Parts: sequence; structure tokens; C-alpha cells
Amino acid sequence: MLLQRSKLMGQINGFLMFLPYLILLVMFAVVPIVLAISVSMEKTLVNPDGGFGNYLFVLQDFRFLPAVINVSLFLLIYLPTMLIVVAGLSLLLDTIKGRYAVPLRLAYLVPAGITGSVAILVWYFMLEPTYSPFAPLFAEVGWTQSTDIFNSGNLIWIFALMTFFTGAGNWIVIQYGSLQSIPDDLLEAAKLDGANGWQVALRIKLPLIRKYLIYMLVLVMAAGLQIFVEPYLLSSTVFPGIAKDWSLNQLSYTLAFLGSNLGAATALSLMLLVVMLILALFVIFRTDFFDEAKNKIKEQ
Amino acid sequence: MKRKFLSSLAIASALTLAACAGGASDAGDSASDSDSGAAAGPRTLLVWVDTVREPACQAYQASVVGDIEVTCEVVGQEEILPKIQLANAAGEGWPDVVFSPPNSVSIYAEATNGFALNLDDYVDSAIIDDYNTSNDWCLVDGSYYCLKNDLAQTVLWYDTVIFDELGLTVPTTMAEFSATAMELKGTGYVAGAIGDQGFYAGYLWPSGCPMAHVQDGTNVRINAAAPECTRVFETMQPLVDAGVVDSRSAFDAGFLTEVAQQQKVAMHIGPSWWGEFVIRPADSWAIPEGRFTAAEMPSWPGEATAWSGEWGGGIWVVSSHAENLQDAADAGVFLATDPVMREDKVTFPGYAPAFELWAARLGKDTYYAADPTVAMVAQASRIRQDNNPVRYDMRGQIGVLQTEIGTGKTLEEATGIFMQSLIELAPGVGYTVID
Repeated sequence: MLLQRSKLMGQINGFLMFLPYLILLVMFAVVPIVLAISVSMEKTLVNPDGGFGNYLFVLQDFRFLPAVINVSLFLLIYLPTMLIVVAGLSLLLDTIKGRYAVPLRLAYLVPAGITGSVAILVWYFMLEPTYSPFAPLFAEVGWTQSTDIFNSGNLIWIFALMTFFTGAGNWIVIQYGSLQSIPDDLLEAAKLDGANGWQVALRIKLPLIRKYLIYMLVLVMAAGLQIFVEPYLLSSTVFPGIAKDWSLNQLSYTLAFLGSNLGAATALSLMLLVVMLILALFVIFRTDFFDEAKNKIKEQ
Repeated sequence: MKRKFLSSLAIASALTLAACAGGASDAGDSASDSDSGAAAGPRTLLVWVDTVREPACQAYQASVVGDIEVTCEVVGQEEILPKIQLANAAGEGWPDVVFSPPNSVSIYAEATNGFALNLDDYVDSAIIDDYNTSNDWCLVDGSYYCLKNDLAQTVLWYDTVIFDELGLTVPTTMAEFSATAMELKGTGYVAGAIGDQGFYAGYLWPSGCPMAHVQDGTNVRINAAAPECTRVFETMQPLVDAGVVDSRSAFDAGFLTEVAQQQKVAMHIGPSWWGEFVIRPADSWAIPEGRFTAAEMPSWPGEATAWSGEWGGGIWVVSSHAENLQDAADAGVFLATDPVMREDKVTFPGYAPAFELWAARLGKDTYYAADPTVAMVAQASRIRQDNNPVRYDMRGQIGVLQTEIGTGKTLEEATGIFMQSLIELAPGVGYTVID
């Protein structure tokens, strides 16, 4: 009787803790998605019949394929960099005990405070050869004009750089936190067995936080696929037109507000959503996201 | 059991919320249609401006204090169209008067958008008459849908000191312009920078290159192979290759420090606001007194008129959804035309009485080597009329043109890419592209 009651209390408490998230999920995810599905079927100026014609219009738009290529190449650089650097730095951070641990964690967080338009300004000054403190370094490589650095070929690297610095700090701190969840006696045992620092990091710690790294991968992938702020701001303020409709989200914005075509814009947004869902599900289930860690500990 | 119940509850509530949201926007749309008539409470106006126009709005605010409560909001020019499209979708949130980029009037005046008020019944015809032809950009289907804030007609700015030093004469044709520019080779001086909107406004437009030539309402002429376009490339490319015309933007940091601020710009085809906004200010070119003035545009071969293009020339649009339409229209008229308010501003007023005060100030100004307003007046009525407001994003694509020139492509290649994107965009907003 008492057991059933505490089980019920547990379930109710669990539900109550989940409820605020559920409300927000419904309000800001489910409702917009349902609305978007109906708007994407609307009649537009170029698609007077409505329906799936809007999806076709997006796929045939001359900016769609370049945007897909841009975002794919961007993710190809951004994701591995984030994964390797964040994992590496958090593992290194974990080895530091004593008075430098806290200031270092703070130092990693500072770049993350510079986002959006401020980030564009900061990076403009860092990379513009006329103003940059790195100008002598750029001159060595032959970059003396702004167009040597800020041109359409380098955009992928520039945006990867910007988004890396704004995102990495937060994730390093989070992964550091996940490293604290590893039981100390496990690490002791490893040391007793003769494992050195490298082996402890790569063979013990890394597999145990694999779940959290995958979680990070999914979120970073979602953010990267939807990149908008950096190309939009760079293209509308400092260098007009340099990254016009460079990313898929920018194309969606352009279609909605500059092309007066909400139907096509929502169609594109939904296509992005579907792609992201497939990628996320693939990553989660292929890597046994939910069961893997439990098994690893059992094995050891 | 419980899980199934919860999930079905979530889905049901989602669908209900979606239906309610859809219903609310329909109700909002119908309510906004019945907006004419006197407002119940105090008279208010919401005006969206950019930072340069903010003092004008504040002047209006001060002039009607006590009668009308005016709120001046600074909104970035890039955000205005998206915000108004959003307001249209939501059925609320329009400003009463807005200072907008000029190309948007074609979108606002369109029936399905409906934001711009038809000014025929709200603005005194005497005001329109005093504009002469300067407000023709705002003429859509025989009615005026906006008021031109300023004319940004291009003129030939030149440095009299450099011209005297090298014994140059002011060119009156493009052939002379080309020859004069080539004489600058090896001297370190340049004949302008074209890596920005100046190339579109100062060369392609005056030459008559068809980029947005609207005919019969739904046909638009876009053709990069037209002789009016190719002659621009043939004239300007050799100058760029010789290094006497800079392919960077006139606002580029490198150009500013290496060329403009070193007083190495001998001449530059730029808009009427170039003097007050670019040549003079200390944080821009900072050219000393008594050097620059403006001359009429050089003419292209076979053209009877020395045409100008326009770089900017913003418009004031009055909202058709304003609570008090006459108040909003009056505000628009003041902001676009009030002579006293316009006197100390940077731009060339389109409205004749305002222009007279402005020209008087500039004429007395000892900063310019000679009165630049003479050339500006001459060019004011010579803005080439075959470039019209269009519903595709001209402003955005000009940015692409700018970028392509900056990456070292030839002018012909860069313009080709620019025009090709216009050809792709036009059908999406209901135009048929013709040669």
C-alpha cells in the first residue's frame, strides 16, 4: 500500500516537474509547427493553387542549392572542430586541480558572452587588415585588403570561427560538469592498474561522457543547420551583399519578408525541421544514446 | 494508459491553440479594415525613422506638442519591410508614417499588401505641384503613394585643386571622362571608387542599362547584353585595369585611409548628398575647405541628355491603417517638405520651396570651391526614368553586385551575375522578363 502510494507520488512529482517544459514545448514548438504546415499549403502569387507547389518552388529556387552547399560545408568544419576542441579542453580542464580551475573555467566562458551584432563588430575589427591587431600577421600571408579576408570563398571559415567562439565556452563548462559524474573509485582503479593521463582520458573518461558529447553534437548540429544571425548581420551592415541568402534560414527569411511568399518560407522551414529530426534520430539511435553508458559501467 | 492520456491531451491542446490563433488573426484583419473615422482617445502618431531622419521627426514632435502625441522610433532600414509584412500577417502593429528605402513603394502600393495610403485625397495638390517632377518615383498606376524625402541624383564631384595642378578640364562626355581619368595614371590620383552602389547609380543607371524597366505593369526589361550596359563595361573596365578607378567601395576602410583621406580622389561620380555626408565630415574623407565642387554628369554617346541615376532618395510612406489618416498624411507632408526643418539637413530636398532654402545655405557655404547646387539643380530633372520601383529585392541584389566587384571579377562578369539574379527573382513576384 505504502509502496504504491510513494510510486504514485513519484509519478505525480515527475509529471509536475515536466509540466512547464511541456507547456513551453506545446506553445513554442507544436503550435508553430502545426500552423506552419497549414501556411505552407497556402496560395501565393506564383502558386495560385496552393498545396505542395510551395515546396517545389523552394527546391527550384536558384538560391536553394548554393545555400544547402554552404550550410553543409559549414557543418563539416564546425561540428568536428566543436567536438574535438570542446572534448579536449574539458578533459584538460578536468586534470587541473587547485586555484587555477575556477579562473580557467571563467576564462573559457568570456567569449561566449559576445554574441550577435557585438560579435560581428568584434570580428570585423579583428579581421579587417586596416584595423586589426593581427595586421602584421596577415601581411606576412599576403592579406592587406579587406577583400582578401572578407570574400565569399572565406565565409565558411569566418562563420565557423564566429560561431565556434560564441558556443565553445558554454559547452566546455557543461562537459566539465559531465566529467564530474564519473565515480572517483573508477579513476583510482585505473591509476592503480597503471594507466597514465592519456589512457585515463581517452579510454576511461571519454567513453563515459560519450552520451553527453552526443547530446552536444545534436544541439550544435541543430544550431549550425539553422545559422542565421552571423551571415545576416555581416551581409546587411558591414559588407552589404557578401552573404545574401547564404544560409537556408536566410533564404527562408528573404522569401517570407522580401519576397512576400510566406508559403514558400514555411515550406523551407519545415524541410529544415524534417532534416534535423532525421539527423537527430539517426545519431541518437545509432549510438544507443540511452543504453550505452549503463552497459559500459556494467562491463567494467 | 496515463501516458496515452497525456499525449492525446497535448495534441488536442496544440490543435485547439492553432485553431484559436488562426481565428484571432482573421478577426484582427476584419477589425483593421474599419479604421477610418475619428480616434476615440488622444491623437497619437507612430513614426519610424532612421538615425539621420530622427531630428526631423523630433522637430515635428515639437511642432505639434499638445495636439498630437508623436512617437519617433528608430528602426533599421533593412527591418522596415519585414516588420510591415509581419504586421500585415498579424493584422496589427503598423507605424503611421515610415521613412522607407525607395524601392519598397512598389510592394506597399500593391493591392494585396495595401500598406501605402493613396495620397490623392489627403495631400494638397499644390504640394505635389511644387515637387515638379521630383515625386514621380512615387507615382504608381496614376496615384501618388509616397512623398520623396530627397533626391539623390548623381553629379560629377571633382577636386579643383588637383584639376588645376594637373591642368585638367572638367569632362562633359563619358569619352572625355575616360580620357581625363587615364591622364591620372601614374600620378597616384584616382577617378573615383566603384565597388559599391555608386557603380549602379552613377554608371549603369545613367547609361540606361535595363535592370528594372517596368513596361505595362507586369513586364520588366532586364538585359545585361544590351548596348547600354556593354558600353559601361567597355568604358570603365580599362580604367579599373589601369588602376585609375578603384574597385573598392568608397566606404572601404582601406580606401579611406590610403586614398580618400590622403586627398587623392581627383573626381568621383556620386549622389547629391556626397558632399555633406562623405566628402566633408572629419570621420569620413575629411577633405579640407575650398577644394571640391560638383559639375553636371558626363553624357553617354548618342544621348541628348546628360542623365543621372539615383543613390538612395528615401521616401515617406503614410499608412493606410492609421487611426487618423489626415493626421498621418500631414505628418508625412511636414517630414518630407518643411523648408525650415530641411534647411540644415544633408540631403537635396525634392520639394522646391524647401530646396530654395537648402541651396541658399549651401551656396553661401565657403566649404565648396564653387556652388555645387547649380549642377544638382540641372541634374534633378535628368534622373533617367527607365529604372522603376520593382517588387523584387533590388537593394539586396545591388549588395551582391558590390561584393562581386570587390572580389576582383570584371565589371561585365559582376554585372552579369547581378542581372541574372534579377532575372531569377522577377517571376517570383509576378513579373515577366523581356529583353
